[in-house]
Amino acid sequence: MENDLNLSHHISKRFNEELEEVRNQVLKMGGVVEQQVREGLKSLLDADQGLAQRVVDTDIEVNTLEVEIDENCTKILARRQPAASDLRLMISIIKTITDLERIGDEAAKLGKNALKLHDDGKIARQFIELRHLGEHVSATLNKALTAYARLDVNEALEIIQNDRFIDEEFDNISRLLITKMMEDPREIKSALRISWCARALERIGDHTKNICEYIVYLVKGKDVRHTSIEEIKQTITE
Amino acid sequence: MTDKNPADSNLAEQLSTTEKVALSLRKRHRKEKRFQWAGLMAVGLGFLLVVILISDIVLKARPAFHQHWVKLEVEFRQDWLGVTSSDLAELKKANYRSVLRRSLYGMFPDVKGRRDKRSLFKMISTNAEFTIKQYLLDTPTKLGKTAEVWVRFDDDIDSYLKDDYTPGEAGPRVSKQQAQWLQQFLNKEIVDKRWNSEFFTSGDSREPELAGVRGALTGTLLTMLVTLLLSFPLGVAAAIYLEEFAPKNRWTDIIEVNINNLAAVPSIIFGLLGLAVIINIFGLPRSAPLVGGIVLTLMTLPTIIIASRASIKAVPPSIREAALGLGASKMQTAFGHVLPMAMPGILTGTIIGMAQALGETAPLLMIGMVAFIVDVPAGVTDAATVLPVQIYLWADSPERAFLAKTSAAILVLLSFLLIMNSVAAILRKKFEKN
Amino acid sequence: MIDLSSSESLVSDDIDLSKTVGEIYADDAKMSMRNVNVFYDEKQAIDNVSLDLARNQVTALIGPSGCGKSTFLRCLNRMNDTIPICRVEGDLRLEDEDIYAKKLDPVLLRARVGMVFQKPNPFPKSIYDNVAYGPKIHGLATNKAELDEIVVSSLQRAGLFNEVKDRLDAPGTGLSGGQQQRLCIARTIAVSPEVILMDEPASALDPIATAVIEELIDELREKYTIAIVTHSMQQAARVSQTTAYFHMGKLVEMGKTEQIFTNPVHELTENYITGRFG
Repeated sequence: MENDLNLSHHISKRFNEELEEVRNQVLKMGGVVEQQVREGLKSLLDADQGLAQRVVDTDIEVNTLEVEIDENCTKILARRQPAASDLRLMISIIKTITDLERIGDEAAKLGKNALKLHDDGKIARQFIELRHLGEHVSATLNKALTAYARLDVNEALEIIQNDRFIDEEFDNISRLLITKMMEDPREIKSALRISWCARALERIGDHTKNICEYIVYLVKGKDVRHTSIEEIKQTITE
Repeated sequence: MTDKNPADSNLAEQLSTTEKVALSLRKRHRKEKRFQWAGLMAVGLGFLLVVILISDIVLKARPAFHQHWVKLEVEFRQDWLGVTSSDLAELKKANYRSVLRRSLYGMFPDVKGRRDKRSLFKMISTNAEFTIKQYLLDTPTKLGKTAEVWVRFDDDIDSYLKDDYTPGEAGPRVSKQQAQWLQQFLNKEIVDKRWNSEFFTSGDSREPELAGVRGALTGTLLTMLVTLLLSFPLGVAAAIYLEEFAPKNRWTDIIEVNINNLAAVPSIIFGLLGLAVIINIFGLPRSAPLVGGIVLTLMTLPTIIIASRASIKAVPPSIREAALGLGASKMQTAFGHVLPMAMPGILTGTIIGMAQALGETAPLLMIGMVAFIVDVPAGVTDAATVLPVQIYLWADSPERAFLAKTSAAILVLLSFLLIMNSVAAILRKKFEKN
Repeated sequence: MIDLSSSESLVSDDIDLSKTVGEIYADDAKMSMRNVNVFYDEKQAIDNVSLDLARNQVTALIGPSGCGKSTFLRCLNRMNDTIPICRVEGDLRLEDEDIYAKKLDPVLLRARVGMVFQKPNPFPKSIYDNVAYGPKIHGLATNKAELDEIVVSSLQRAGLFNEVKDRLDAPGTGLSGGQQQRLCIARTIAVSPEVILMDEPASALDPIATAVIEELIDELREKYTIAIVTHSMQQAARVSQTTAYFHMGKLVEMGKTEQIFTNPVHELTENYITGRFG
């Protein structure tokens, strides 16, 4: 029994369809959020006002999707009383969409800050580190969503493990911004904005990590939150 | 699901299906009607036959319940009686026939010839001398005086009065002369038609006007009692053992087959068995209800066992499981739960068996219960006969009055059966209620 | 009552059924069964099953029809003795006492291990007599007052007393289905058993009556050790602490109920409780 979580093959075909539908909705929501993050980053770096506004507006779509998926999950829980892997799937979906919605919020923050920076006449392009962090985070999110689609525990595990790199990069940016602020107090306002953006990206990374933990829970049935990497590895290989 | 548009394609089919169903429905309704009619006819025919049979029997039996009596003026003259005092012992031995005869001749002074006299005397039942004897013994003060005493007519006169009465004309077994004398009795208004209670209180007799069913009824009662007391416990015990305790193997199979076969054995064989074994080997008395009961038990037993087994089988196994699950032993389960629930069925089977036994004559003929027995049996070892045998005997008798008696006895037998069934029905109701 | 026909095969050929996965041993076992085999003539109904019934816990036996769970349950109070062709092998113990020992009277065993059946089967007698029957035949009461006491307390423990206290003389068969089943439970606990076996006790009842029975089972756990066969997985999940999954006469998996219902180890268990075909 490797990672072959079997979501179809229910005796009830309708149940299969319902599960498939809600899973597709989650993947769709993931796609929307991922694009939001990427565009938020782009709007920030390219000082693209229109794009930034679109990113902010996308939040409504994400919220609607979250509510829809929640409703669908409630319906399935009430009607099918899922057990075992189906139950874990439901729980992981409910948890995943919360994190996705938060990611959406953070992405919207990127957009908002892009607008504000633009109002201030500042461009974040100069912060190469922010671009680096942003690309890293959005790549991680992409990988996480792929792992989610494929129920790939190993990939998820790698992402959990690599979360610390994102944290390190965030620390680097923070240090850099502090130096900047000390050098030129006039930059404090924009540096703080950049810092918030970096903070948002770091939060996105954390949410992505959470999603990966749900993948492990879904596939392996083990709750790996708040445990060390070594412990996680041990439980999974058991 | 792949079928894209089921509504369109199915509509035409559905319509035709509805039409087809409607068509076949008419056919089915007709068939149902026909069957109902056939069933009603069958029931009606059966009912009609029963009504005809019963009314025929009732009509034929009616005369048996009445008896014509005549009031004679009897002179209890001491010289006719041949007694000297009113001593009871002497009165018992007195010549009442002479008194009766002379009193009768006194009423018809113009009858002279010996033949005529005898013919006149024959109109009165042979039992009449005992009637007047009883009268005098009851009231000895009448000695030497004239008293009016009611005595029975002979059965021929009785039948003539009931069926063929034409004033002054001869009838079957009644001469013209007798008819004219009878007319004189009637003119004097000393003839009375009375309820014949003797039919129920006396035993068999050669004289139809005296014959009753009490002996046969008592015999039947005793025989049935013996049969019931033997066959019910034995049958139920056997059924319980076979259903609840016996292991299912070749032996129980053989026993089962034999019980089923036994139910099909002609009853006369049981009679032969009774004669050969019970009377000849064990030396029990002939013609006794005890022996009759034993023989009928052999005949009834398979019926009771088969019915009881079916009834025990029909008790839901959940009840047995419930009792066993509580820790009841097999015995407690069988007698505490299975038997009470099976009881209604067992009773039905028993009644069917008993009803069969009640109507049975053949085996009883073999053990001598066909004898002519006047006395009412007092116990199960006394000689006795039973109702069906009595019916057979009377039906075989030449006297015309026995025809009515036969029908009356049949009615008594049917009533007996009815009472037996009612008791069983009441018991069954009681068991079903619990 | 006993369905010998095997159900449609849910098993694919490559699945390992040779040994049970999960926890079959209890720290404090009331009954322990080891290597139990049951045969109906030549047909094997139970294949090498070992498990413990933990004291004061509810153990649920689940599995598809014909998987042998009812057969196994009936071995525990020797109800299978009534079936001549049934043969039980293995080591079955109640408090370390061999329940298939020659010298052990099954009647005594059944007084210690009571049973409640699928269909409510009250005797066609009064409510009082139904409950009093067991104590009467076992001589548990010496006088009428004691018997009354047992009847009342049993009915109370079965949660039926308030509903029937005014009509103890009424026939038990006149009660509703749920009440009848509680009467059967009262009848069983009137004998003061140590273990109660329940063979799909709520399968014939409506959801409300089922909930009442389930609540009752949970309360009874304090005093008795309970094993319950059920077709309703939700019911197993609700009432039991331990769940055992049977498949084609084998014990496939046994473990804590919450674990079985969230993360079963064996694929067959997973397929069964999520309603999949293999």
